[in-house]
This record gives sequence, structure tokens and C-alpha cells, in this order.
Amino acid sequence: MNVSRRELLAGSAAAAASAAGLPRPALAANEPIRIGWLTTLTGPGSAPGIGFNRGVEFAANAINAAGGVKGRTVEVVTRDTQGDPTKCVNATQELISQQKVHAIWGPTNSGESLAVTAIMARAKMPNIHPCVVDTLIDPVKYPNAFRIAPSNGQWDEAVRKYCMSILGAKRVAVFGDTTGYGVTAAKACADGFKQAGGEAVTLANIDATQPDMTPDMLRARNAGAEAVVIWTVSTGMIARLLNTRAAMGWDVPFAGHPALASGDLAGLLAKPGNWEKVYAVGYRSCSFDAAGALPPRSQELVDKLAGKVNLSDSLLWWVACGVDAVNLVARAVEATGETASAGIIGHWNALNPYPGYFGDYRFTKEQHNGYPADAVVMSAANTAKSGAFALAPGYG
Amino acid sequence: MLASIVASGLAMGAVYALIGITYNTMFATSRVMSFTAGMLGMLGGVLGSLFMLRWGWPVLVGLPLTLSACALVGVATEFVAVRPVLKSLDQHLYVLSTLAVALMIQQVTAIEWSTEPRPFPSLLPMGAGMWDEKYWLPVIACALTVAGLEWLYGRTLLGRAFLAVAEDNFAARALGLPERNLRVASYAMAGAIGALAGFSGGQLLLAFFANGPLLNFYGFIPVALGGLGNNRGAVIGGLALGLFQQAANFTFGGIFASVAVFVLFIAVLLAAPQGLFGTATARRV
Repeated sequence: MNVSRRELLAGSAAAAASAAGLPRPALAANEPIRIGWLTTLTGPGSAPGIGFNRGVEFAANAINAAGGVKGRTVEVVTRDTQGDPTKCVNATQELISQQKVHAIWGPTNSGESLAVTAIMARAKMPNIHPCVVDTLIDPVKYPNAFRIAPSNGQWDEAVRKYCMSILGAKRVAVFGDTTGYGVTAAKACADGFKQAGGEAVTLANIDATQPDMTPDMLRARNAGAEAVVIWTVSTGMIARLLNTRAAMGWDVPFAGHPALASGDLAGLLAKPGNWEKVYAVGYRSCSFDAAGALPPRSQELVDKLAGKVNLSDSLLWWVACGVDAVNLVARAVEATGETASAGIIGHWNALNPYPGYFGDYRFTKEQHNGYPADAVVMSAANTAKSGAFALAPGYG
Repeated sequence: MLASIVASGLAMGAVYALIGITYNTMFATSRVMSFTAGMLGMLGGVLGSLFMLRWGWPVLVGLPLTLSACALVGVATEFVAVRPVLKSLDQHLYVLSTLAVALMIQQVTAIEWSTEPRPFPSLLPMGAGMWDEKYWLPVIACALTVAGLEWLYGRTLLGRAFLAVAEDNFAARALGLPERNLRVASYAMAGAIGALAGFSGGQLLLAFFANGPLLNFYGFIPVALGGLGNNRGAVIGGLALGLFQQAANFTFGGIFASVAVFVLFIAVLLAAPQGLFGTATARRV
């Protein structure tokens, strides 16, 4: 039989068209939901990553133990980036092109996220992360990226409101470290106070290894600071500032970065009393009220975690956020019945709200900062218990 | 206010001076600027905290052990990073080799100890405010070290042998002095002096792996200011640096204080390239 080239092409086209109309192979419907997980599990700054990871593993195990999502198991593909943006870039590319994950959770620090956000956007990879740098969220440039933790602006606002409205401190000293984050955050904080009618009477970036903070604290006191605002993750720098405050006999309150509540501080302080009147950024969902109780949903999570996840050396919000991240991907697949990136992103864009353990997330197509501003509060820094803190005095 | 600045300035200055002396001690017998000096200071704090706080040993055990351990690190530096490059000093390979050892020390400390600062125990819990131990202990340690070195170099045969090697190691060897052993001994001594800097300044610096580069850098300034190989110059340069740094911290604050320190440093070196107390070396032309 003679077959002309035209007939062959027509036949091929018909075959392709009929194949496209066939249902997808059963393999795709039953394949695991693969979630890429970029985090820092070793090296400096690994404590949050380890905390988030406990929540991630707990949530994935819980979903799979309950039969998965419409019969599909959740598979977490973890990559330890060690806090290194270069390693994070490599891991991101591997997760996208080789592991072919359906969504990525992380990375968990802004430096790494700045390096990979554009890569994920190019691949249209659904991405949720807890990084604070404001510019990481831009629904026009990065329509795939969603934040499920506060932005730095929200932290800043919580600190400013607490200082000005509750502590009555309008004149503050603002100290950041000399990292890019410390410089940016301290300047933004000082600008924020100015716009709100307050004043940063001292603004300084201090080398975190500077052995003695006496000169800086003396300048702040002489300038008439009514509160000291801190933007650093360096526990050594914070401890020195608090010890200096005590040595000077200066009863000024400290407020600022969550690191003010780090457990590492306890051993670095000359005496436990030096940790009084120190207020760190915290979250309503992970704060004890005056009666010592957590919000009901958080208590429900703590009860579920009991015996399975260690909270004594971690923070509840890290674990809760990790649980929420996995659940957000799983629920998106459950709701849309598919793992295509457009479906997941479309589902997240319509969440209003998603009741997570860490917070109620709200997203629209134009707003990808999902964490509610009023859920960011100040905590009494020295009250850690099972990864949660008491609300700072002054909250109703 | 002035008293606080003076107290903390003298304390930090004494630590810088001790690191400067560490540089000088290693330089004297080998003509090598070993960038492990700051790491020895860092190790003094970390090992002191390890022995006394984590393992609960008394200071009378912790201090000698810390000094001995750092002396061993000093000896290892001589074998690994100095001896192999002595034949080609003019190529300055020691910069690379000693920096490599310094980085290894820092990374191992970060992995095995912690990347977060850890507390250093109070050795003599007495005094408060500017009379706190953390302010006067480094000054006392520095004074005792300088006095000890003066006695060693001026009154003992061993010290004179050190000086002979420092003056002209070829001539010293020709006279039968064990130049190689003396060099190893000087690296051991430098290790102990560096450790003493970190140990006595432990309350100020904390036991922190990142103190190494800080001490390497600020410890070098007294050497440059006071004149290479001049311990008295290093002490004066160190104390001046500490006082000026704290005054700049108070006046300008934060990173601007560092800029002020370096501006002064460069200005002094422009005015006196051999250092304030150094002597210009004659060069045959």
C-alpha cells in the first residue's frame, strides 16, 4: 500500500488529537504530591530550620497516616541549604528540573530567598515561604510566591505601636547590627518612628562582635532614649547590651527582633534579672494570655504534637508554620484535584481566610502577604514555655 | 561616663596588646607574621569556657590547660604553616599558610563548639561597675605578661638566646644555638600569650568563634603602630587603640567608630611608616 506524506501527516495529527482526549494515565493520579522543602538544617542559623522541619514532618506523616490527599501520599523532598544562597540556588534548580516537585516551601531565610525567588518565578513554581524582607513579595513580578509569616514591615509596625502606644516611648534608640539586614531594618525602623510622630534619638549599626556596648548605651541615654529598639539576630550583641543596661542601672525597656527571646541569651546574661522589661516580636497564636492559656487552635496543635514533636528547644510558631505550609499545599491539591502549578496558585489566590495553626492566611491575586498584621504582637522575652511566650504587658 | 570609657578602653586595649605581643613573639624568631595570633586569643576564651563552665573544672586547672593547649596549637602552627615556607620568606607564602591554618582553627571551633557565643565564667567575682573583673583582669594579665617577658629577655640565658635568634638567626646558629628548637619554643610561648589574652578577656569577648578575625585584625594594629617586634610599642599602641576605639564608639557610634579607628591608623602609618616606636631598617643600595 502506498501512503503519501500528506496522508501520513494527517494520520499522525488524528492520532495525537485522540491521545490528547484520553484520560490521563492512572500513574499521574496516584503519584505522590511532591513538596520541595528548602531549609537550613545544619550550620549557623539552623535553629528555625530545625523547628520548621519538625512541623513539616509531623504534617506530612499526619496526612499520609490519614490516607493521603484523595489517595495520594505527600512526599517531602528536603534539601539542607546550610544557609548558603549558592547551595539554595542549586537545590532549587534540582527540585524544579530533576525532582519535578509540585510546590516549594522555603527557603527560610531572606538571604536565600532573595537568590531563588526569581528562579522559582521563571519556572512558575508555587512557592510559600516565611521570609521577612518586604521585596520578596510582589504579585506582579512573582505571581507564584506567597508569604505565610509577617513581613519585616509588620514586625516593625508591631514594635513601633508597642513602644509608642503601650510603653509611651516616643523617643527611642535604634540599634541594628552591621549585616545587610541589620542596616536596612534599623533604618526602616527609625523612618517609621519619624513618620508616626516619634523620633529615633540614636540610630547606630554595631558590629555584633564589639566586646563592650557601654559607649553606645551611654550615647542612647544621653540622647534621652525612652526605649531601645534592637534589630539583630546576634545573641552575643543582645546579651552585651542587656548586661550593659544593668551595669548602668538604667531602667529602659528593650523591644525588637524575636532574637531578644532566644534561649541562648539565658547563659550569656550576668543575671536573670537583666532579661526583665525586654519585649520581643511574637504572635498571638503562640502567646499565653494572662491566664496562661494558648488560643484554642494552638492548644489543639500542642496536644497533637505531644509526645511526637519536641517543643522544649524550639519555638511553637516555627513548628506551627511548618505544619501550615504542608497543609496549604495538600489542601490546594485536594480542592483542585490536580498538582498543576496554575491550579495550586489559583487556589491560594482565593484563600480568604485559610485557618492555619500559626495564623489565618488571606491571599488575593494582588496581595500575597498572607499573615494578618494584628496577629503580630510583642512577647515578654523571658517567659518561654514549650516554645510559646506570655503576651507583653499592656495587651488586652 | 569618662570612667566607663577609660575602663573598657584599657581592658580592650590590653587584649589587643597581648595579641600584638603574640604576633611579635612569633615574628621575632621566624620573621613570619602568623595570622593565627587572633585565633589563639579566640581559643583562649573557648577552651577556658569549655574547661571551667561546661566541664566544671576549677580555674587553677582550667587556666594551665588552656595555656598548654594553645601552646600546642602554636607549635603545630610552626610545624605546619611556618617551617615549610621559611626558605622562601621573600615570596610571603606564610600569609597563605598561616591564614589557612587560622581558617581551619576557626571552622573546627565553629563546628565542634558552636556558632553562637557562649558564656565565659567569672574567675574572681568581686568588684562592680567599672571595677568589674572583666575590665581589670586583661590589664593585669597584660602587665604580668610584659613584666615576665622583660625578665625573660633581660635576665635569663634562654631569653638572651631568643634575642640572639631574633637579631640574626644565621649568626645564632653559627654560635651553636639550637635555632629550630628556640623557634618552636617561641611559638609555644606565643600560643600561651594569645590564650591568656582570650582567657583574661573572656568576660568581655565571650567564648565565640567569630572573635578570631576580630582579634587578628585589631591585634595587628598595635604591632603596626608600635613597631614590628617591639613589645613595649605594642602595649602602648594597644592601650591607645582601645581608648581611642571606645571614645570613637561613644562619639560616632557603630560602624563610624571603625572608620575613625582606621583613619587614625592610616594617618599614623603615613607619618611614621616604621611605627611610632620602631626603627627604620637600613637597606644596602
